[in-house]
Amino acid sequence: MKGVSQFMSRAAASVVGLAGLVIAGCAAFPDAETTAKNTEQMVTDAHTLGAPALIRRSVQDTSQRACSMIGGSEGSAKLSQEQAASLVKTARDSIQYPASGKLSGDWKTGAQLVTDGRGQRIVNGQVEKLPGNGALCTNCHAMDPTEVNAGDVGPSLVAYGKQRGNSEAVARYTYERIYNAWAFMPCSNMPRLGTNGFLTPEQIAHVVAYLIDAGSPVNRQ
Amino acid sequence: MNLSSRAAAICAFALALATGSGPVTAQSKPEDGLALGRKMLAEDNPGDLWVERGQRLFTAKRGPKNASLEKCDLGMGPGVVKGAFAQLPRYFADTDKVQDLESRLLTCMVELQGFKREDIIRTRFGTLDRDSDMEALVSYVGAASNGLRMNVRLTHAKEREMYKAGEYAFYRRSGPLDFACVTCHGESGKRIRLQDLPNMTKAEEMREVVATGWPAYRGTHSTVRTMQHRLYDCFWQMRLPDLGFASDLSVALTAYLNYSANGGEIKLPGVRR
Amino acid sequence: MAEPMKIRALLKGDVADIRVLVAHSMETGQRRDAAGNLVAAHFIHSMTVTHNGKPVYDGQWSQAVSRNPVFAVRIKGARVGDKVVVSWTDNKNDKRTDEVSVAAG
Repeated sequence: MKGVSQFMSRAAASVVGLAGLVIAGCAAFPDAETTAKNTEQMVTDAHTLGAPALIRRSVQDTSQRACSMIGGSEGSAKLSQEQAASLVKTARDSIQYPASGKLSGDWKTGAQLVTDGRGQRIVNGQVEKLPGNGALCTNCHAMDPTEVNAGDVGPSLVAYGKQRGNSEAVARYTYERIYNAWAFMPCSNMPRLGTNGFLTPEQIAHVVAYLIDAGSPVNRQ
Repeated sequence: MNLSSRAAAICAFALALATGSGPVTAQSKPEDGLALGRKMLAEDNPGDLWVERGQRLFTAKRGPKNASLEKCDLGMGPGVVKGAFAQLPRYFADTDKVQDLESRLLTCMVELQGFKREDIIRTRFGTLDRDSDMEALVSYVGAASNGLRMNVRLTHAKEREMYKAGEYAFYRRSGPLDFACVTCHGESGKRIRLQDLPNMTKAEEMREVVATGWPAYRGTHSTVRTMQHRLYDCFWQMRLPDLGFASDLSVALTAYLNYSANGGEIKLPGVRR
Repeated sequence: MAEPMKIRALLKGDVADIRVLVAHSMETGQRRDAAGNLVAAHFIHSMTVTHNGKPVYDGQWSQAVSRNPVFAVRIKGARVGDKVVVSWTDNKNDKRTDEVSVAAG
């Protein structure tokens, strides 16, 4: 496959770049297949505490595996057309909607969710006990322009709704993008929050409202 | 008495926090305050107290075998701490494994001093109720390389194997948030909330992170944390299962990261939020 | 048993900059341990500094000072080699005294 061979040659180039001196001086590194086998065993051995369902979190699904290429995988640049199409289809097929059909919920509930960075963390094999997960949004995105404590790993979402409006189409796009960002941009840094079960469809709808509602702090300025 | 004295008992960490969360003006980026706070802390690093306690622990006869760690070979010969941090992780013939500083100290505490492995692992991270011997020993050994440069070598086949495993793990996405290390540490100048994220694919940033980073006194934890704790904490935030202390996976990541920091001038312990 | 302080004393001009790292839990009496029990207050209440035997600082501290605090004093009119002695006493009557000589800055 063309995409794979491209990826292989890039990986090889990056090895030479990083460790050229070593390669020149002595024996070679193990091949990619051996490394994958070794490391997967190490991952298995590294996690011993907790119920099997928690331990299984470190096992990759097919999409995660495809997005784990050496050298980074943000965006679709390093994927072949077929790989990208397959990832998008898998992502799109996974999207589910709230039973109520309402894709935009209550922005005030959303406001609580977006700044909450907690949920699902494990210590000594136990998951933290919370009524529900935070949505983690401001870890990476600016949303309310008056909030300083926001990250910038993801793009700023200030005035998101002001720029796009709050039509049904915008609500649907926003909902789907949060539910599974890989349906739009395979291997994006953005977690597949709905597909992975981190957020419920209702929680995602509240976050959508926070982004597009005219009354939300996101769109007030 | 022609003395005038000015005294200030400073709650240094409360001060640093106040600097970080103060009003942000148009001229100053939010992280400027954090950088200033870190600079203030670096001048009087409480981690130095861990270095001194670590030295006392290293030379004291302890454990069921009533032995010191002065026969512990950290890669520079028995009991030699100077330069040890600079070349770790490395391959050790007696264990037939690549080991980082923590896993090697664990071996020495078990083999030379007769401590139980599970006891050392249970107390690996200090709490407000109980100091950790491991955190003190790592501080002492780390500081003993101050002024030297990172020089991790990949001469043994197992060292190359660990390096490649660490690289693979760095890019491996998993868990309910689909994160790999590279998700947060693949670009320069980014933040999670107000926390600066080093770009670990850039050697110049890695040199600083590794050579002046861990072990580091963490103000919010009131103790020195080690690289093993840093990795454990990342796995926790990534919603992955507990990362086993001294596990091969943890050593592989450290081998990959420390190797990329070669040439960085060591100044430990660091100071972190 | 109380652990040693780490003291630096550097002369700049005729002012000695004394910086002290104190190893102390400085428990406020408000914190609960992992089992949920209140941890008894345990904090330094008296801190003194002498310069060649003469007191230059005599302070009353409280629970408001942080764990492992950093403490700084400047002594005017100091010379290289002068003896600086730092002592503390806490509410459990633990004590610690350490001394240094002023060094050229």
